[in-house]
Amino acid sequence: MSLLEVDRINTLYGDSHVLFDLSIRVEEGEVVALLGRNGAGKTTTLRSIMGVLAPRSGEIRLDGKPISGLAPSAIANMGVQLVPEERAIFGGLTVEENLRIAALTAPNAWSFERIYGVFPRLKERRKSLGRTLSGGEQQMLSIARALIRDARIILLDEPFEGLAPLIVRDLVNVAAGLAREGRTMIVVEQNVAAALSFATRVYGLNNGHVVFEGTSAELTANPDLARDFLGVGA
Amino acid sequence: MPSWPALASQAFNGLALGSLLALVSSGLTIILGTLGVLNFAHGALFAVGAYAAFVMLQYTQSFLLAIAVGCGFMLVLGFLLERLIIRFFYGRPHEDQILVTYGIGIVLVECVRAVFGGNAQRVPTPSWGQGATQLGFLIYPTYRLQLIAIIATLLVGLYLVLYRTSMGLVVRAGIENPGMVGILGINLRRTFLLVFAIGVVAVGLAGMLYAPVVAVTPDMGANFMAQSFVVIVLGGLGSFPGAVVGGLIAGEIVSLTSAFNSSYSEVMLYALMALLLVLRPQGLFGSEGRV
Amino acid sequence: MNRPRSGGLRSHIPELAILATLIAAPVMLPHLGFSIDLLTRVLNWGLIGLGFDILFGLAGLLSFGQAAFYGVGGFVTAYLLVSGTLSSVWLALAAGTISAGAFGLVVGWLAVRRIGIYFTMITLAFGQMAYFIENSPLSHYTGGENGIPGVPVPVLGFGEHAIRIGAGLPMYVLFAVIFFGGYVLARRIVRSPVGAILLAIKENTARVAMLGHNVPAYKLAAFVIAALYAGLAGGLLGSFQSYMPPDAFSLETSGQLVVQTIVGGANTLIGPLVGAAVWLWLRDNLQLIPGLTTLWKLVLGIAFIALVVGLRRGICGEIIHWLTERRTLSARRAAEAATEAIEAGAVKTASSRARDTALPLPSPATGNGDIALEACALARHYGGLKAVDGVSFKVRCGSIHAVIGPNGAGKSTLFKMLLDEVSPTSGHVLLFGSQVTGHGVSRTAQFGIAKSNQLNQLFPNLSVRKNLRIAALARRRGPLRIDLLRTADSLPEVEAQIDAIMALLDLAARADTPAHILAYGEKRRLEIGMAFATSPKVLLLDEPLAGMSPSERAATCALIRDIARTCTVVIVEHDLDAIFGLAERITVLYEGRLLADGTADEIRGNQRVQDAYLGGLHAHEPA
Repeated sequence: MSLLEVDRINTLYGDSHVLFDLSIRVEEGEVVALLGRNGAGKTTTLRSIMGVLAPRSGEIRLDGKPISGLAPSAIANMGVQLVPEERAIFGGLTVEENLRIAALTAPNAWSFERIYGVFPRLKERRKSLGRTLSGGEQQMLSIARALIRDARIILLDEPFEGLAPLIVRDLVNVAAGLAREGRTMIVVEQNVAAALSFATRVYGLNNGHVVFEGTSAELTANPDLARDFLGVGA
Repeated sequence: MPSWPALASQAFNGLALGSLLALVSSGLTIILGTLGVLNFAHGALFAVGAYAAFVMLQYTQSFLLAIAVGCGFMLVLGFLLERLIIRFFYGRPHEDQILVTYGIGIVLVECVRAVFGGNAQRVPTPSWGQGATQLGFLIYPTYRLQLIAIIATLLVGLYLVLYRTSMGLVVRAGIENPGMVGILGINLRRTFLLVFAIGVVAVGLAGMLYAPVVAVTPDMGANFMAQSFVVIVLGGLGSFPGAVVGGLIAGEIVSLTSAFNSSYSEVMLYALMALLLVLRPQGLFGSEGRV
Repeated sequence: MNRPRSGGLRSHIPELAILATLIAAPVMLPHLGFSIDLLTRVLNWGLIGLGFDILFGLAGLLSFGQAAFYGVGGFVTAYLLVSGTLSSVWLALAAGTISAGAFGLVVGWLAVRRIGIYFTMITLAFGQMAYFIENSPLSHYTGGENGIPGVPVPVLGFGEHAIRIGAGLPMYVLFAVIFFGGYVLARRIVRSPVGAILLAIKENTARVAMLGHNVPAYKLAAFVIAALYAGLAGGLLGSFQSYMPPDAFSLETSGQLVVQTIVGGANTLIGPLVGAAVWLWLRDNLQLIPGLTTLWKLVLGIAFIALVVGLRRGICGEIIHWLTERRTLSARRAAEAATEAIEAGAVKTASSRARDTALPLPSPATGNGDIALEACALARHYGGLKAVDGVSFKVRCGSIHAVIGPNGAGKSTLFKMLLDEVSPTSGHVLLFGSQVTGHGVSRTAQFGIAKSNQLNQLFPNLSVRKNLRIAALARRRGPLRIDLLRTADSLPEVEAQIDAIMALLDLAARADTPAHILAYGEKRRLEIGMAFATSPKVLLLDEPLAGMSPSERAATCALIRDIARTCTVVIVEHDLDAIFGLAERITVLYEGRLLADGTADEIRGNQRVQDAYLGGLHAHEPA
């Protein structure tokens, strides 16, 4: 039994059909990358798992138990944590308050010190309001909110988007470290090279369908495999 | 030009009215900010609070006890309203929310009228608030000074709840981004219930504390509600600091204007709001909240 | 094409029914506890309600300040008469009504800039302000808390033949005549283009603006209309009870109007009248029953809550719904069945259909040179983030031009700047050489740039035909025209254009189907069709194929090619296969900058574009 199974879900955004019978599965301790051009349905997949969008049909199971149809708060409390694309930092709350609210309902919450060990920069800025943070710091805080909850699966949606290369390198190092420690993650990223550097397995998505399934190594060795769902023109 | 003592006396009146408006408005604004509902029953709840003080005082003979029991009553009323009606309106258009709370207001006011009649009731000033106090060159009613102090304490308490407790943290985060609060594992519905009840208690308390100063009638809340709308537009919708500062400004404007020409006191308040809407529509404290 | 226009006796059934009721009421209703005076009072409330229903029921703007205009109309009329400034009640009524309208113009100008609860709070606050102005600063003229006693009744005719319209039946007749006139006018307003646009504003304000209508001005028009009705009613009130009471200005008055409208039924015009009848009847009759004297309003309040919670249509709304439901039920069932069939794929979409529709449109406009649209160094920064950073490109007239790029490239921000939905931090946009930036989205639409949206922005409860009509009227009427007396469907060339576009969209069979019942693919086509129906010079399509099945994609691509024969098309789309099939030129954005610009073949062969899309998979990062 996989840790997470997404079983032939169909999800609509408004009345626009985005995911068509989409199935993926994630084993405990692996990092899975969802790749595809925009509009392929990657973000919608993550939002479906988190319960933000309810699939019209199909089932999502965590440890074999169905979670589709539950509220996001219930799904979060089962150990799934979305780090959304827009980061969704509470701008009027300080860094520490952002962490505190994340930890509120987590039974095995990390200590602040442990989080600051991963992101020393956040310790320096712990009294600053969220809205005063730079893009990179916001992204760190957003990931830190998932970590402090000790989430079993972290869903990273475009974690490197719009960030300077140096900051991307730092964040990739953090993600790679988490992967080594065996933290389960699903990452959606436009920066394919960065995502593949710490992901073990890959699903390629196109128009709401899974069109490729393989390992990161396969894809890195043979980039032509990605033309179908990433490249331009046939 | 009025004399300095007269001006100072009006300034104190402004402080008393302003702190009262701040308390009324902060109840209104945290409900609006968190739940997204503009509570048109707020004025009626002010009157209900005043009548609660009136009734409890007759039973208990102690002003403090009356207020304590009255708060319990308002809390229960708040819980009931949220559970029975308000919560079904979170997903509905603002117009529906306004209409249903306006309807609740009518029912509350008419219940009060049915029980107590339409005539004004008097709530006596508590024994510890009798008389007047000498403040340098001016003599000022003791209870009003106490009123200012009590409300200041209550506002500090509300500040501590909002800024120093987990619930306050959730409320402030929920005003900004309720979706993300849910993603972090927090069920906002319970917070909504609490916030609504706190807002109801706040306005009820304002009614109880103000009861000894004015004639208590079923319709006494309507004007306070209209003024508190001005206050939250002034301060920025959903902003607690905005409600406090806006309340004080509004109170001083009404009182100081009446030192010069009493017939313009209320008009000035609304004129200021019109001006602000043109020049700074988001209010003094920035954001428009969730609206 | 000759479609039967609405008209004839049938369409005047509501007016005839009202007329009959007004004639029968003083004969029948007194037996049911309605005195003549009560009926007159009901008509007075009904008259304010006509205007309020245009504001709230039609345009969706909930005002809690109508008492201000009722009071202004009443006090100006009463003062002019009692002070002896005017001797004619009619002239004084006119002056009062106009004063109320002028006050409405000022308050409305401030209020319509804001929406939702802001609008409601502002109107309420101005209502209170008017109350206090009457009460103190102007009490020398208005009598303050005492009001103005001794307001004379109107006189009909001159000299010896003059007839005083006294209390009782004559006064009822006067009110009934005025109400009937007001009703006929209000119904014409509802059926006019202005009425159609106001209803569309309630359905989807943003789309009405995007089509080119001046939304604040139309809202203001509704606000002033409501103020005029309230002012006239206020003026009549003084004459009716020979006393102008200050509580006309009270918040209670505004609230009563709202409650009556909801009870009677919003967006029915006569709802407020019926609601007033219920309110006043309960008040007068329950008061006679011992033990219930004070409870009538409680009963009403509970009923009101029940109506808001449950039956949103109110009394008249339910009756009208019941009557029309019987008539239209079968049509709606059929439409829903058709939708299910399409969703299930049973009906082949019209990909292979011959397209020979002649569009009643000019061929692509050619200005100076052949550049239709030019983006000049457009940039948009959000704080430190440069979403778009100095992008320039040209779109040739009559071509299909695509903008593509990986996620986060800045395509949607760029698109919004082309339309002036988002104002650029720097740079500007030229349409046939003249600058369009800085005018806002409605003016840009009037210049001739239309956009279909990534997420459908339809008027869900309006039929396909009415959706298209709102769009087609936009550039033909200009940003604002107050033509209250013509009917919305009375322009034959507009109707012909709508018919042609429905044929083009393959939606002719769905003309009378409400948009929300359509299948998804049909909604997408309607979305594009609405933008096209404004007869734009340049049509922007934001992800027109989003969420479509492969066969729907093919059909939509064919539709886009057809449209491109009459106007220049700029398209943002993820489906690159479709883009390479459609576009003559492609602009590629990457991280907010222009990466490449060229023909489909050039772009396909461009290594830098390939690298950008592959997200660094080749390990050499593009600059």
